[in-house]
Amino acid sequence: MHKEKQKNKDTRKRDSFFGWIVVPALVLVIWQIAAVSLKQPWIFPPVTMVFKQLLHPLREHYASGSLLSNTLVSLVRVLTGFLLASITAVTLGIIMGSIRILRTLIEPAVELIRPLCPIAWLPFAIVIFKLKTLPQLIGISYSHTIFDQVQLGMIFVIFVGGFFPILTNTLDGVTGVRKNYLLLAQTLGATRRQAFLHVYLPAAMPMILTGLRQGIGLCWFVIIAAEMMTGTDSGIGYLLMYASDNSAMDIVISAMIIIGGIGAGLNFLMRAACYRFVSWQGKEV
Amino acid sequence: MSGCDNKKHSEEKPVVLEVCGIGKTFHSGSSRQTEALKNVSFAVRHGEFVTVVGATGCGKTTLLNIIAGLDTPDDGQLHLYNGLHFGENIAYVFQHYTLFPWRSVLGNVSFGLQMRRIAKSERKDRARQLICEVGLENFEDAYPHELSGGMRQRAAIAQALAIKPKLLLMDEPFGALDDSTRTELQQMLTGLWREHHMTILFVTHNIDEALMLGEKIFVFTERPGRIAKELKIKMQGPRNKTTKEFTELFIKIRGLLSTQMD
Repeated sequence: MHKEKQKNKDTRKRDSFFGWIVVPALVLVIWQIAAVSLKQPWIFPPVTMVFKQLLHPLREHYASGSLLSNTLVSLVRVLTGFLLASITAVTLGIIMGSIRILRTLIEPAVELIRPLCPIAWLPFAIVIFKLKTLPQLIGISYSHTIFDQVQLGMIFVIFVGGFFPILTNTLDGVTGVRKNYLLLAQTLGATRRQAFLHVYLPAAMPMILTGLRQGIGLCWFVIIAAEMMTGTDSGIGYLLMYASDNSAMDIVISAMIIIGGIGAGLNFLMRAACYRFVSWQGKEV
Repeated sequence: MSGCDNKKHSEEKPVVLEVCGIGKTFHSGSSRQTEALKNVSFAVRHGEFVTVVGATGCGKTTLLNIIAGLDTPDDGQLHLYNGLHFGENIAYVFQHYTLFPWRSVLGNVSFGLQMRRIAKSERKDRARQLICEVGLENFEDAYPHELSGGMRQRAAIAQALAIKPKLLLMDEPFGALDDSTRTELQQMLTGLWREHHMTILFVTHNIDEALMLGEKIFVFTERPGRIAKELKIKMQGPRNKTTKEFTELFIKIRGLLSTQMD
């Protein structure tokens, strides 16, 4: 029995080694062979060319900055918007979920606005916020930091992208809180305000984290799309578009790899947070 | 108040809880009604251990919920004396979901103290002491899902005791446990009751359990739920299920419950 278990574990280990190392390596090899024999690197660059770009992330491309600087700009935009969306959506979700009348009043509006693609907000957001940046909001015209690239319009679009999945998941989480936990808290002397903080919030935490995970994934999608729109001048999405206009396919693919890698990394981090903070999930007794 | 004559026996300890003609009807669907409680009256005196025994679904839980302030009666009145107050010194132990799954044993036991804004170090000390009293000294950092059913109920009792309840309500707290664990916990509960000088109202469908624990037993009948009989137990010291007295009482209660089922 024990031996069999060990054997299963070994097979799994071997399979996952194949899945993570061997199969991707094979794809790269096929790509390389195909690209070299095609001999048209401006359409389909070989792996080696792309990796050369990835290994020099600080190299400036034309006037648009480097892979690294543009990636950082995108990340700062996403994290700012996501942070704002998290705070407002979780707070609103808990309040709406626990006060019935508020939910009845607000939910229809949410359901009507939610299906709208966040990108569709961009022209409107740019008109409203012009090209105002974060430092300008607090009266500094130019701060000489990365925040000069963080336009309010961008943050708004990211905010919209993250807000709805976080709100709906938080709402579901709060609605699903077992009545027993509320009764228990009540008999132990919790006031209504304490119940928010010590029952609704922790009990809804698994769903909130699910919402945050979906939210940050969507924010990352949205920023790339938003940066590809005309009128932007920085960000990894912008660099991708700019390189494409200049037939620099090696940079295009490098940017794609970076975008994909960061998306996967964010998802992984959020999942790790779920395991860490809500280890009790699904084990209620 | 005319229907309440429970206060007459003044030679005994003071009444802490008085239930006068309480009735409760649940409406389900358009016209279906279930009369959960009808004209229930009784009094519980300070320091008493009262068990309420009756078939599952006879309104016992509804009664406890009303006493705990989690539900309101349609008829009748509930009187609390001796400074008894909802959310202050009335604790309630349920059968299931008795602990917050996101808190450790220590966090659960100190919950009530935290709600009362007692300093962290003090509430930890008090919680630790209670955790020892219920025999969980090595498990204060464990989470509910890591504990056995019996251990969870031990923690739930410590959690309830932390608010220093004058009245402890228990709704089939040992209902999901195996026999030997149940006996262990019954003994522990009796000990804690003596030490902490509380009044306990304990609901169960298990006649054995009602007899093992209660000084006074209310036999509850179903649909509508009401008290068919009030029994005083005079057995001294630790009770023995094999005695003649115990068996006779058992048969008597069984008889009372089964006549109602016909």
